[in-house]
Amino acid sequence: MLAIRATHLSKTYAGEGAPVTVFTDLSFELEPGVFAAVMGPSGVGKSTLLHLLGGIDRPDGGRVEIFGDSLEDLSPRDRARVRNERIGFVFQFHHLLPEFTAEENVSIPHRIAGLASDDALARARELLARVGLADRGDHRPRALSGGEQQRVAIARALARGPSLLLADEPTGNLDADSAASVFELLETLHRERGMTTVLVTHNPDLATRCDKIFTMSQEGIRPAAGFSGRG
Amino acid sequence: MSFESFVALRYLAASRKRAHVALISTISVLGLAVGVAALIISLALLSGFQDRIRAQMAERSAHLVVSPARGDRLAEPEAVRRALAALPGVLAVEPAIEGRGWLSDASGRSTTPIRFRNMPRGSERTVAGDAGFPSARLSSSAAARVDAAAGSLVRVLSSRTRLSPVGPIPIEILLRVVAVRRGSMLEKAADLEVSESIARLLTGTASGARAYEARLTDPGRAEIEARRIATALGSAYRVQTWRDLNAPLSFALRLEKVVIFATVALVILVAALNIVSNVALLVVEKKRDLGVLTSLGATPGALARIYLTLGAAIGGVGTAGGVAVGVLASALLDRFHVVPLPSDVYLLSHVPFAVHPGEVALVALFAFATALAAAVLPARAAARLAPGEAVRLSR
Repeated sequence: MLAIRATHLSKTYAGEGAPVTVFTDLSFELEPGVFAAVMGPSGVGKSTLLHLLGGIDRPDGGRVEIFGDSLEDLSPRDRARVRNERIGFVFQFHHLLPEFTAEENVSIPHRIAGLASDDALARARELLARVGLADRGDHRPRALSGGEQQRVAIARALARGPSLLLADEPTGNLDADSAASVFELLETLHRERGMTTVLVTHNPDLATRCDKIFTMSQEGIRPAAGFSGRG
Repeated sequence: MSFESFVALRYLAASRKRAHVALISTISVLGLAVGVAALIISLALLSGFQDRIRAQMAERSAHLVVSPARGDRLAEPEAVRRALAALPGVLAVEPAIEGRGWLSDASGRSTTPIRFRNMPRGSERTVAGDAGFPSARLSSSAAARVDAAAGSLVRVLSSRTRLSPVGPIPIEILLRVVAVRRGSMLEKAADLEVSESIARLLTGTASGARAYEARLTDPGRAEIEARRIATALGSAYRVQTWRDLNAPLSFALRLEKVVIFATVALVILVAALNIVSNVALLVVEKKRDLGVLTSLGATPGALARIYLTLGAAIGGVGTAGGVAVGVLASALLDRFHVVPLPSDVYLLSHVPFAVHPGEVALVALFAFATALAAAVLPARAAARLAPGEAVRLSR
């Protein structure tokens, strides 16, 4: 069974003037347990692809299957449960909720799942310790550095123990050192938890450290030429 | 605490620190509170007057009246009297003896048609030191027509006749006016009130009555006792309560309250528009967060509930504040007689305010429900948000 199987996806946004067609017939597959990088020029639809794979956006045409379940066949409620339990999202700009402390941010997926407040916070603290922020739990996002914010965002994405992690340029907004350490954290957690990870990045150095590289262009998405995987 | 309330309450708490949101939230809460307080004070003012009118109604009217279903004489007056007297909480049972005649001053000039009836026994009085003239109470309008005042003698000519050596002549009697009543706003009262014996003489009814009337210790129980006696006496009799007798006025009082409620409640509807814009602003401000929450697994319904909770919180605080201010202000206005009235015109020296808990509950329920309804529109917008777009467009 494939971790991701997206076939003939098309997506058009209602732009300010004319509608903007992002892609018309895009297919993408990924085996379980793979750490894949997706590269490509800006505006080609990498983020849109991640949103479709993660079920927070719907394709105009085509299907997305995550571990054999077709997102198109699920009710909005079931799709929300899949996002909560099986998919983790990390965005380029951490997108932490500014009104909540780090551990409250990490506890939100648990609360959405219906866990009691104490239980949710205890699990959040555990995960924050795992990403090296045990002493930052009661800080608001504003009081954290860029690297720390992104670590909290990673902890939040992993809160429910997802089998698929979708990361949209998580290091794009960080200095080189923070970027390297955030990438290392992602890599370690990926191995540790046996997840399937899709990482959108513009950084070729980081991409070459992944199991697979895909390049995305107007023509579609395909494995990068001349890269046969790490190791 | 549910995830939705957790997020909603945190948004509300955090919004205090952002000046423009705080200002709009404050206006929303204040607007609702002002509407609720205004409605409570208006209703308390109305209730204050209406309670007095109802008390007068209960005091001046007979509480239960049993009359024949057809005709103008009771078939078995004694049975009716006994049945009424046997009811629990009955103070007095009296016959009603009424008739029509002509009233003139002692000299016989300026005659005017009148209705007369027997006065309640407890209120019969005679003028001290007066030798032969039976006493009478006169309405102010009748008194004016025959130019009589307290102490004057008046002449009454009944429509009944008695036989005399020269044929039938009208029954005629001289009465001493002991009191002149102000016109009543209640049920149409008789112009002239006389003692029972005089009334019987004038109407030529030696026994029996047109109806029997009872007064109760608790006028509030009139309906219960009316049902009881109607069952006991059967369908040959008509049983009316003091509320039935004053039905047109009672209806007018209720209508007045409904109209005031509907008019002042418009303030609450205007305040609700504030809440719509307040909650809508928070939806727009938090668009990105809503996208993020969706990516974390929140359903569209959960997003909507966050904003309904916000509406409920604003509605709850505004309503509670309004109730507190309204009830307190009404109590103070009543206690310290803040609004004086010319007592020769109104019978009252100040505007009374009476807070009825049921009305306060109704106002609170209405205001809270309106606030909640105001949040529905923005909440639905939050639920329909395209989350992908929300996360993509905001950095």
